Amino acid sequence: MASPNYDALTGEGEHPFTYRLGLQLSDFASESVIVSDAHGVIQYWNAASEALYGWPAMAMIGQIYEAFREHEAEHTRALLREGRWEGVVRRRHLTGTEVIAAVRQIARRDANGTLLDIVEFGRNAGAMSETAIIRLDAELQGYLAASWELDTSPARSVLHTIGELRNRGIIDDLTEHPEWVERLLSATRISAVNDRTVRMFGAHAGHKQMIGHPVGAFWPAESRSVLATLLEAVASDRSRLEVRKVGSSGTMRDPIISAWHAAEPKPPGTVVVTVKGAADDDRTSWELQASEERYRKLIQYLPTALWQVDSRRADEAFDQLKANGVRDIAAYLDRNPDLVEHAKDVVRVTEVNRDAVSLFRASSAADLINPVRYIFAAAPGLAERVMTAHFERRRNFIEETKVLAFDGTIIDVLFTVTYPVPPEQLDTTFITMQDISERLNAERQLRKLQADFTHAGRIATLGEVATSIAHEINQPLTAIVTNGETSLRWLARADQNIEKVTQLTSRIVSNARRASEIIQRIRGMAVKQELEKRLIDLNEVVEEALLFSRHDIDSKSIALSTTFDSGLPRVMGDRIQLQQVMINLLVNSVQAIAQSGQPTRRIDIQTAIDDGGSVVFSIFDNGPGIAAADLEHIFDRFFSTKDSGIGIGLAICQSIIAAHGGSISGSNRSNGGAHFRFMLPVPTGPGAASDVANIIQQTHPPVQ
Amino acid sequence: MAIRAMLAKAIRLSKAPVVAIIDDDESVREALSDLLLVQDLSCRTFDRAETFMAEYVPGKFDCLITDVSMPGHSGLDLLQRLRSIGSSIPVIIVTADTSPTARSRAIRDGAHAYLTKPISSEALLRHLQSALSQVSPPPGDGGQGTISDG
Repeated sequence: MASPNYDALTGEGEHPFTYRLGLQLSDFASESVIVSDAHGVIQYWNAASEALYGWPAMAMIGQIYEAFREHEAEHTRALLREGRWEGVVRRRHLTGTEVIAAVRQIARRDANGTLLDIVEFGRNAGAMSETAIIRLDAELQGYLAASWELDTSPARSVLHTIGELRNRGIIDDLTEHPEWVERLLSATRISAVNDRTVRMFGAHAGHKQMIGHPVGAFWPAESRSVLATLLEAVASDRSRLEVRKVGSSGTMRDPIISAWHAAEPKPPGTVVVTVKGAADDDRTSWELQASEERYRKLIQYLPTALWQVDSRRADEAFDQLKANGVRDIAAYLDRNPDLVEHAKDVVRVTEVNRDAVSLFRASSAADLINPVRYIFAAAPGLAERVMTAHFERRRNFIEETKVLAFDGTIIDVLFTVTYPVPPEQLDTTFITMQDISERLNAERQLRKLQADFTHAGRIATLGEVATSIAHEINQPLTAIVTNGETSLRWLARADQNIEKVTQLTSRIVSNARRASEIIQRIRGMAVKQELEKRLIDLNEVVEEALLFSRHDIDSKSIALSTTFDSGLPRVMGDRIQLQQVMINLLVNSVQAIAQSGQPTRRIDIQTAIDDGGSVVFSIFDNGPGIAAADLEHIFDRFFSTKDSGIGIGLAICQSIIAAHGGSISGSNRSNGGAHFRFMLPVPTGPGAASDVANIIQQTHPPVQ
Repeated sequence: MAIRAMLAKAIRLSKAPVVAIIDDDESVREALSDLLLVQDLSCRTFDRAETFMAEYVPGKFDCLITDVSMPGHSGLDLLQRLRSIGSSIPVIIVTADTSPTARSRAIRDGAHAYLTKPISSEALLRHLQSALSQVSPPPGDGGQGTISDG
């Protein structure tokens, strides 16, 4: 009997329906063919069945199949679940003797999945030795199990030493010598695995990532010593077949692990291991597969780079360390850097998505399905911190760090780890990475601007009010030029109209004054200034700021209303800088409204005194408001959502208001739109001092 | 020239032309109307597009001089609106906006001229004259206005 044919097991292989057309010919087949319906009633019984079991077709057709097949309930469940079962059965012959048959059963279903019938092919296995029968059974059932073909030849010296130690009485039970278990599993290489193994033991990327690697890299923690014991038992003895039942693990319930030495023509030292057990889930395996498929699709198309990592090996190490009384893992890892290095090799990536492949500039997912070492290549200490968080049973780890892409690029990423918490499957640690290099670049540039934040503020606001200024200044200029030219035309006429020319000339003068005032204001805006605090009337400051923004507001058909509290106390402030704040807030509102497509567009500006006696400036708009997720970030130094029009200006606004001892806040209005307000404290202290300040202010108005 | 067109011109010229001026800035309005006055042209001024449209009936005005940036509808919106209701009134745009987008939009919608502030009165009057002497443009003549920086 040859060992299982893995090529057949891994792909489509033998198709269960190959035999369908041959059914009528099976009367003459040498194999027993039995067909029973969904209720177990035998429908067909061929001549070979009569020969094998002694029972004539006449006696069997129409009979309940179950009566004939005792002790087969368990494998029938597997058959119904998997659609197929192969193995050795023991049945009763007409004469009462036992018939040992190797059978292959196929459950046929219609398109809706309803069971149609069960077809069984059988042949006599009675002439074989007991061991051969067990091995035949194990091999036949191999495809139902997770099957591994292992090469123990590289482990020969390890096995030899274990044998020596056993002879000398040093090793009795391998379970008590984890170091030898590990050595054996590290030395034993995987030569083949089937799909089920690939699926169940973590390396979702495919066979390629498993073959040639030590079995120890994949074998689950709870049965490592079981596997080592089995390997030791069968590696040198071709006649042995070892079977162990182990506790539930991963997706399997009460798995049974079988191991035997493969027969010729496999080279000596080749051991076949199968892991069988009901999937730890009531769903049928194909449902399970479909849900896995959906899950993997979901992961594939997640718009963030994602790694699924099997960190169970780290868990084991941690459990050991905890058992040894280690509490301060960070310090421990510092003293034992080898542990970190070891973890980088034994903790493996089992799945990645498309974004991960493109983030790492890899050519395919397979490049990333490796031990996690490559993830930590550009970030010293990151692996230690990730391990520390894991050890401390934190749910998440988050850090801004760097990774090294396969093309040598260093990428700034926001790196997060989500650790599994029992009873979740422990092989699902998730790592996500978000490319933040663009954001960081922008931040770096902004920081340069921020170094001189008044200047930065000027750039942020002046750019936006430039059109407004051009418009403002062009109006009086147009009036001046036109009035001047009209005067000349009047003077050129025969009927000179001196009265009209006088009127036009006075208009020229007043428009020239107006232009000059505007230029003064622009100069005030443009000149870089230190914070120059004076006692100011906030209402006046607002009115001046509106002059600069009016054009922008008007041109976007926004209705502007102002409500000024006439009894506002004066505050200490820098007029120009406060105007910058107001203009920034106005520009933001205008942009937000313009973009919202609201039919009625409104901005309301208010000044008031709040309960604490501070002076408050408020701006309400009926734009789209601030996205809930952004609310708490809008004043962050470098926060910017280009779409909603909230520029970097807000950070500068906050700096300015803070320099005034005030505070600024943004919120959403209950009926839609945003509300920004800032508060400035009114100078307190002895009334006399305040009065003096007021007198000074009134008698020596600040020079503009 | 077709009889009908000559007749139309004769009828048009039989009354003094009226020019509409729209600008939200009072001093600009005053300056422009005084400029027309010295040329013996009568005009009506409006502070925004909406007030003009409230009074607009086809044939009432012979030419329109309008600003672009104003509260409410812009001069360009107005031009588009006039064309959409089938009006072929010559429109001279007078604006501080030098952006190519605004200019090309004006040309597309058949502005007679596009002048940027501060304007030269000589250029404005020249365009005004050509607009007033213009017979109803042939269909599809939307984009053929004289475009000048004034």
